[in-house]
Amino acid sequence: MYTTSAWRQQTPRDWEHYVNKQVRVTAHGQQQHRGWLHTVDPVTASVVLVQLGESAGGCSVSVVMGHAVEQVEVVGEADEETAMRLSSLFRSEELEARGGE
Amino acid sequence: TSISASSKPGADPASLQTEQRARSMMRERFLRCLISMANKKIQFHMYEKVKVDATFGASDIDVLNFQVSDLQTPIGVQTEALIRCQDVISYSFDM
Amino acid sequence: GAWLGTAAAPHERPGARRGAEMKKLYGTDAAKIQAMEAALQLSFDRNCDRKQPKYWPVIPLRL
Repeated sequence: MYTTSAWRQQTPRDWEHYVNKQVRVTAHGQQQHRGWLHTVDPVTASVVLVQLGESAGGCSVSVVMGHAVEQVEVVGEADEETAMRLSSLFRSEELEARGGE
Repeated sequence: TSISASSKPGADPASLQTEQRARSMMRERFLRCLISMANKKIQFHMYEKVKVDATFGASDIDVLNFQVSDLQTPIGVQTEALIRCQDVISYSFDM
Repeated sequence: GAWLGTAAAPHERPGARRGAEMKKLYGTDAAKIQAMEAALQLSFDRNCDRKQPKYWPVIPLRL
């Protein structure tokens, strides 16, 4: 459990520990968010959570701002397939095209 | 959970490198997420129980402001707007 | 100490993290991250120039 400032003061390696884990994040006002943790922005400590759909396609994403994070709890581990889906997320064709010129 | 303490960078180049890799992997994922939000409908949960929808444009890199269009405010639509990140608790969207 | 300095670096003011600082934070990936950040910032600046968005709400919800 973290106080808001404690979460922001974690090190990148502490945050990395949560990547690809299923987590429950409590935000300001006791708002709860559950999902697979895709990443933590090392600059703002914002948490990107993904709720994967049944199909290979659709998913929803929620981002909790680092300054509003009150608590992060691990509630599950990703299997290999889930971890793969999580790491390929947001790697759109458009971006690849732009990156590769 | 117990997390092993991060060793001091500088004291050990290998651990500094591990730290840098972790930071850049997570930052890259975050930036790609921001980029993928362009033109998507985003729901913002803000302080004071304010909830608004808008079409995302871009964010500045230090994430101090979100530039959005067609912001559905409680008193009507604001065609072009900047939302202060400090006012936001969370935001969500569909991929 | 040195460690606290490193941990605090990402929270510095915009524009303060450049070159050597990026290298220190991101190591061999510094150029890639910097390029992505620059592209994002450019699209933010361009949109703001073109659309002239105004702050909403006018008064910050949280001071």
